[in-house]
Amino acid sequence: MIKSDKNGLDEMQKAIRNKIGNQSFMLVSYLLLLDIGLYGFGVRWLAYPVNVMVIIIVCMSIYLARIIAHNSYLPPQSQKSKPIVWLALIIIFAVILAIAVAMFYGKLAFLQTVNNSDNSAIILFIVSLIGLVIALIVTVIKRNDNK
Amino acid sequence: MVKNLKLKSARAAKDMSQKDIAEAVGVTRQTINAIENGDYNPSIKLCISICKVLGRSLNEIFWEEDND
Repeated sequence: MIKSDKNGLDEMQKAIRNKIGNQSFMLVSYLLLLDIGLYGFGVRWLAYPVNVMVIIIVCMSIYLARIIAHNSYLPPQSQKSKPIVWLALIIIFAVILAIAVAMFYGKLAFLQTVNNSDNSAIILFIVSLIGLVIALIVTVIKRNDNK
Repeated sequence: MVKNLKLKSARAAKDMSQKDIAEAVGVTRQTINAIENGDYNPSIKLCISICKVLGRSLNEIFWEEDND
């Protein structure tokens, strides 16, 4: 059997992941440069920290979706198991935990001082949600293709 | 790259699926499929592993004769 490295991916998976990672890095660089250029021309599409975060999250989502689509996310050993139930449980637990934390800390004073006119959090949330949905769709399509 | 029909025929001769070989050598089925279709050029280490599983030599599976 081929000896695998610590993350367990086979050689083609590693090659694909490296390729996609390099392309994603270049995409981040170009988008950040474009953002700087737009800023120089006076176009402010989002406030400062959020625009960088949105670019990074979008590129990370693209990277994640592509490595899942190219079957380079999980190593060969893990693909034999069916972690769907565990994955669903973890997601449900994370959502419940997030709601509980938001309900508990949401009433504290330091969070109420945040400027509510800024819609950055909503934008970040929507971008993350879209990324998750894309990753889920890609996973489902890939699973159907492998049948 | 050209398709590796020798690998495909050797696999069929041993009545093994792509998944069987993939599990035997510790790679994904997609990797074996890419090798058969000529989309991926495997390392010598992987070639040797595949040959051992199929009971063939490297020449029999991976050597390409020149058509010139």
